[in-house]
Formats: sequence, structure tokens, C-alpha cells
Amino acid sequence: MHNYSVHMNTIIEPFKIKSVEPIHFNTEEQRIGILEKACYNPFLIHSDDVLIDLLTDSGTSAMSSNQWAGIMRGDESYAGSPSFFRFKDAVQDLTGMPEVIPTHQGRAAEKILFSIMGGKGKYFLSNTLFDTTRANIEFSGAEGIDLLCEEGKYPSIPAPFKGNMDIAALKKVIAEKGAEHIPLCIITITNNSGGGQPVSMQNIRDVKEVCTAHGIPMFIDACRFAENSYFIKLREKGYANTPAKEIAKEIFSYADGCTMSAKKDAFANIGGFLAMRDPALALQCRNLLVITEGFPTYGGLAGRDLEAIAIGLEEVLDEHYLHYRIRSIEYLTDKLIAVGVPVMQPAGGHAVYLDAKTFLSHIPVEQYPGQALAGALYVTGGVRGVEIGSLMFGKYDAEKKLTPAQMELVRLAIPRRVYTQSHIDYVSEVIIEVFNNRSKIRGLKITEEAPMLRHFTAKLQPIS
Amino acid sequence: MKEQTKRSWAEPYKIKMVELLKMTTASQRKKALQEAGYNTFLLKSEDVYIDLLTDSGTSAMSDNQWAGMMRGDEAYAGSRNFYHLDQVVKDVYGYKYMIPTHQGRGAENILSKVLIKKGDIIPGNMYFTTTRLHQELAGGRFEDIIIEEAHDPENEFPFKGNVDLEKLERLIKKYGAKKIPYVSIATSVNMAGGQPISMKNLKDVRALSKKHGIRVIHDMTRVAENAFFIQQREKGYDKKPVSAIVKEICSLTDGATMSAKKDALVNIGGFLAINDWNVFEEARNMVVIYEGLHTYGGLAGRDMEAMAIGIGESVQDDHIRARIGQVVYLGEKMIEYGIPIVKPIGGHGIFVNATKFLPHIPQDAFPAQTLAAEVYLDSGIRTMERGIVSAGRKANGENYYPKLELVRFTIPRRVYTQAHMDVIAESTLRVFERRSQIKGMEMIYEPKYLRFFQAKFKKKEA
Repeated sequence: MHNYSVHMNTIIEPFKIKSVEPIHFNTEEQRIGILEKACYNPFLIHSDDVLIDLLTDSGTSAMSSNQWAGIMRGDESYAGSPSFFRFKDAVQDLTGMPEVIPTHQGRAAEKILFSIMGGKGKYFLSNTLFDTTRANIEFSGAEGIDLLCEEGKYPSIPAPFKGNMDIAALKKVIAEKGAEHIPLCIITITNNSGGGQPVSMQNIRDVKEVCTAHGIPMFIDACRFAENSYFIKLREKGYANTPAKEIAKEIFSYADGCTMSAKKDAFANIGGFLAMRDPALALQCRNLLVITEGFPTYGGLAGRDLEAIAIGLEEVLDEHYLHYRIRSIEYLTDKLIAVGVPVMQPAGGHAVYLDAKTFLSHIPVEQYPGQALAGALYVTGGVRGVEIGSLMFGKYDAEKKLTPAQMELVRLAIPRRVYTQSHIDYVSEVIIEVFNNRSKIRGLKITEEAPMLRHFTAKLQPIS
Repeated sequence: MKEQTKRSWAEPYKIKMVELLKMTTASQRKKALQEAGYNTFLLKSEDVYIDLLTDSGTSAMSDNQWAGMMRGDEAYAGSRNFYHLDQVVKDVYGYKYMIPTHQGRGAENILSKVLIKKGDIIPGNMYFTTTRLHQELAGGRFEDIIIEEAHDPENEFPFKGNVDLEKLERLIKKYGAKKIPYVSIATSVNMAGGQPISMKNLKDVRALSKKHGIRVIHDMTRVAENAFFIQQREKGYDKKPVSAIVKEICSLTDGATMSAKKDALVNIGGFLAINDWNVFEEARNMVVIYEGLHTYGGLAGRDMEAMAIGIGESVQDDHIRARIGQVVYLGEKMIEYGIPIVKPIGGHGIFVNATKFLPHIPQDAFPAQTLAAEVYLDSGIRTMERGIVSAGRKANGENYYPKLELVRFTIPRRVYTQAHMDVIAESTLRVFERRSQIKGMEMIYEPKYLRFFQAKFKKKEA
């Protein structure tokens, strides 16, 4: 085990199971047919046909009995529900931001923010923007620029904070584009597209300093703020004895605002929010909110979901939970490293990322090795993961030639509090079996795609 | 109308779970209302005794729906609850393709963006706040084609949601069918007081639109309530179950937007439905940007399950009879007390005619907003303005002056009892008795969009 690990042989979950959901088993032969019917896109497989669903950690958490009690307590008044006020208090307490705007999920918060701040000729700078964030920025006519630190670009090199922003590059881009064309700088914690890698407190401080010097506001894409906070506790000097909640509060203290998908680190199955310090911007946001989301005290959510988020935000910062969470991901990663499966190192906060470019070195990037690997995992063991590579982020140039993504990854996202250690052992066996038979896997070509966010609905077929 | 015995609307259910209410004093209410800028939307629901702000998302779910909540499959893609909902929409409504959305306005947003081009005209049987706004934001313009009777609160015509076919024909002639992407037809027209459209009229609209190759899109949030009125009032439908009438209505349209928070008895959720594959595909590509992947559309799996079950419950005759029976009970009490309300009594609430209730307050001084505030002060009952504040402003900045200046007493489904209805009628009577002392208001804060939600007011001095 390397330096960043938590020393513990058995991972004891700080909870017991209160309600279960049966898994449907099927055979490899059936799965071959199912994948073909789904046009080789795991997003199009019915969840009933999946044994272990690692497509996403978003909205897939098991809620606690306390959250379910909150669900029962939800007040469904259209306006001024006490559930909203409990939600607002929880968000204010965590972020210290006075303006709290609920949305039906994270992308709706982004949609509103970028509709106001975006537009042609503008640039949004980030460590790495996630797919829906980028789509919302581009939809507004603006451009998103990723400025990930150098070590973050190499999956096999371990480093403590591979989600950090490249400060020199940040200064350079600001000088090139002009601060007046940069409405916002966004730090994604943890960096999802880059392997769930954390950002250090020092880096957040440095980004803030640069932003302040140029009068650029800094926002946090806070989906996995608790996991990032715990990594800071484990890895950054001076934080070993600081409670995770204090670390989270410090992170938010540097930001002018945040977007949050509560479907991640708030254990909710639906919901999100926007929070900020500037009341004038909040007023603009609320004016848009009522059009597409809902009245400002429910934002398109049921009252019960506001309750579940408020409780989840508190639960997620329990260090026994975070310890179990981070250690679980590391457990699977270590198993794979031990037999030579190429994975992103060190282990991230919410997922294991297989390096498909190395895993399937015989498949060129134009044939989407990540998507091919995701298909093979499904057929072999009914495990559903997601490609994070050229299908998700690739672009076409003027000659319709694919400009590939920086990395070709398959993300196996672990839902929170859902699967046991034996499920994870099974997953590692499936991956190792696929790895041993990797030479038989073929590349894919796209037969149908949408102009934006194509990975959700694209249809593909194997290249013979 | 069918003769019904006094208690014929007794609820076809018993109570399984309760939510405690807080009682407030007059001075507490006075303070709460001032803090809310005399806008009932801005009151905390804790300060409200009986909440008649809306019937949207406020229903009591059944034990079956709650069981469905526990069966929620929260998989991001391909959740089994999605397939269940998809099947139910096909079976109950008959639409071919369905995309879930987090609520009705999510569906309106997407459908407007897909179907409307800049400069288009969208005829409809009376505007609705969010619907018209989405049409305008997509570059279109709404044109009202509802029959004149709808604008007269006293007129007892049984189908005040009907379309004036001549108005529609004139519009088609004036602008040409190419400028009209669809005719927007609401069942149970909300702004007219929950008034139904007849099957005959809908068939005529369908025939006329078809002749010109124009689609009919159905705002179906209260389709079951409309179907019940057809069963009660229209020749040839008295023996047909509500479920069959609902299906017939949908068969006369090409697609729909649905806020399932009304008829379908859920607290959150909606969908858009369409029979045309190409429109469906375009909408499906757009839904991931605004709502979520097309197999969840921004809803938890459990909410899709609750919706699927709620849709089935919503078209049961026993349910609808009790639902509308309760509204009629309250309306008849108010009529008995001499309170001016929109007639005939609508499906989802009582609409009090503020123009007649407060004849001394001009429309510019917001009589309906004032009345809503006074009703709250009297007993903690929260209602909603549906008049000049809701109507908002035209593109050129001028106020719309709607002919109807109403206060909506919306009845949530399966939530309140007969005793609550009695309290509502008695409290409104008390306000009615002191109506001559009530003064109007002025608006001191006005938001850009959908101003009724967040506007603030103050009382006019003597």
C-alpha cells in the first residue's frame, strides 16, 4: 500500500442494511444479445439486465433511515415549505453562502448560471469541466478551457492532488484572453473526468488569489466536496487533525459561489442547488429558475427531497463514513494493480478508472477502446461502467476527423452505501477475466449520434 | 347533470397518515403577511392553516403510491420505473412516445423549443402563465381562441373551455398554416376557472386543424377532471367510464405536455408525449441538457413509479366523483352565502370573482391580490391571485388587463375534509361581510418573468 492509504484490513461499513433490492441474474449468452440490442451503448441497457451497476454514483446512493424519515416528513406546499427552510439552513451552514437556490439537479443549476454568465466570446476556465457542465457552457455560445495540472494527465503516475489546476497556465490564459472575457473560474472537486482526483486546499487558495487579482469570481462544482475534503485531511500537511466538516467549510470560504448535484455527496436520489454570495446575481438566477425549474422555495423538487438533501449533507461529513468510502475504492484499485490491470493511480474518491488505451492497446482511439472495454465488462459479468474518453469528449474537426480526448478511460463508479465487499470482489474477478482475454476485444464505430452529449444516446457497432 | 344524493361524493379512501397543522392568531398572521409583501406565494407554509395556493404537487399519495416509492429503481439509465411509466402512458392515454421531465414546465420548455420558430403564432384556449412564457421565449406569440363565454364569470355555459372555431379559422387565414406550428388545447382550462372543453368541440378543432395540416398539442394536466365533466354534461357520454373518455380526448391530439402534479396525484413529475418519431427524437436529444437522461428526465426512479400508479388511480370514476364532489360542495356553500364565484363550478377549485367582490377597487389596485391577502388574514387560508398580477406584461411593457380578476381557492386532492371546506366557506363569508372597508394595494417590487410568484406589495393609504 502506498502512502495515502488508510490502514485497515477489513472495511467495516459504519451502517447496517435496512432495506434490500433483489439483483436479477442473467447468462453471458443473454448479455451478448442485450448489448447488441442496446447498440453497444451501456446507457441504453435496461437496469433490470445489469448485475452490478457502476454506471454512475449519481443519484444511486442508498439513503439512510434518517433520510427516509425526512422523506416522510417532506412538506409539499408549493411555496414556503418548512422543508425548504431546513434545506436552506443546511446549505448555509456548510457553505457560508447566504443565497441558496434549489434545482431539480446539478445540471439545472449550471444551466441557469451559464445562461446568465455565458455567451459568445466568453471563456470559462476550470481544472476540468464535466460533460454536462461543458455542454451547458457551449450551449450558451461560450467556450470552456480545461487547465489541469501536468501530473493529472498521466493515469499511471501516482500523485496526491492530481485534480489541481495548473496555476501558470491559468495566469497565461487570463493574459491571453483578457480577464474581461472570463466571467468565471470553476474548480471541480473532486475532478470527475480526471479520475475522481482531489484538489488541494493550497491549490484552491492559489486559484482564488489569481482570480481575485483579476477580478474574476471563483465557483466550485461541489458534487463530491466531502470526498475531496477527506483527501485533504489524509494527504495535505496541516489538516490531519482538522475535522472533515471544517475542511469543507474552508474550501467553500474561498468561493464566490457553487453548483451542486446533491445526487453525489448528499446521498440524494434527486436534487441539486446553486449557492452564492452576490444577491444581485441570485436575483437574476431566481428569475430564470421560475421558468424552467419551479418556484424559488422548491426549485422543481418535492419537499421530501429537500429534507433528504439537508440530512445527507450532514451525514456525508461523518469521518467513519468517509473513511469507509475512500478505503472501499482503494480496495478495488489495489486488487487490480496487484495483477497488472492498468488503472488510474492513486485511487480516486468515487470510482475506479480503467486506462483503456493501455488495456486495449490494439484498438486505436478512433475505434473507441473505452466503449469496447465497457461492452466487454458487461458481457463477461453484467457489470455496467461508462466510457470517459473520445465518445464522451471527442470532437470532429473541419474535415470530420475525430479529435480524441486526452485519456481513454472506463469509469466504474461505486454507488454510495449500496454494494458490499463481496460485490466488489466479484467486480475485480470480472475485470481480471476480461483483462486476460483482452486480445479478443474488437473496436467500435458510431452509426448514429446526437449533436450534443452524444454518449448518452449514441448507437455503435463492432468493427469486424 | 346527474342527480346525486348529498353524500354521493364521500371519499373512496380512508386516511392512512396525517400531517399536523399549526393554528395561528390574527396578530401572527398580520405580521407574516407583512413580511411576505402581501403576496401569498411568499408566506411560509408553516404560517398557513389551510393551503389552497395550488392543487399542484400537493396531493396526498395513496398507500400504493408510497409502496411504489419504495420500489424506486434509481439506476441512472434504463430504470424499470421508466419502462413502467412508459407503458402506463401508452395504456391510459394512448400516446406513442413519452419523455419524463421533472415537472410540466420542463416539458413545455422542450416542446416549445422543438416545435416553435421565431415569428410563429400559437393559438390556444386561454393562456396559462408558464405555457405562454415558454412559447414567447421560443420566439412565438400566443393568440387566445377561447369562446367569449369563458371571459364572463356569470355565464353558466357547460363547456367554457371550448374553442371559438371562427377565431381559429381567422387566425389560420390571416397568418397561414405554416406560421402555426400547433394549436395548444388545454383540458380543464385553468385560467378560465377549471372549465372543460367538450368532446364535440375538440373533434371540430381536430378536423379544422387536420384540414390545414396543423398539429394539436394537449396541455393535459387536468384531463381526467375534464373527462368527468364530459361524462356528466355531454350527450352520449353518461355511460362511458372516465378512463375511456380520457383516452378518446388524447386520441384527438398529436402530443401533450403533462404536469403530473395535478391529476396524476404526485408531488413531483411530468412528461411530454408525442406520436411523431422525429419530434420525439429531437426532444430526447434536448432533454439531457435541461432535465436529465431520457430514461429519468430529472426525476428519481421512485417518482416515476408513483406517477405510473397515480395515473391509473386518477382515471377511476369513484376517485374523480369524490374529487369534484368536494369542490362542488364548497362552491355551492359560497353561492348560498351570496359570494360571487365563477360559474359553473370548475374541477379543481373555486374561483372567486374579485371584481364583483371588491367593486370599489380598480384593477390597477389589484383587487384579487388584495382579496387573497384578506382571506389569509381572516383565518390563515392561503389562496392565489389569478388576475392582473398573474397576467403580467406584454412584450412592449404594457400590462395585460385580463377580463377575469379572480382569486383561486384550489383544492388539493385527497388532503382536506368536509370540515375544512366548511371553515373555508365561513371565513370567506366573514371577509365578504366587511368588504366595503377593504382597500387596494400597490406593487413595490416586480420581477421580470412570472411576476406573480415573487412580486411584493403594500397597502394603499386611505
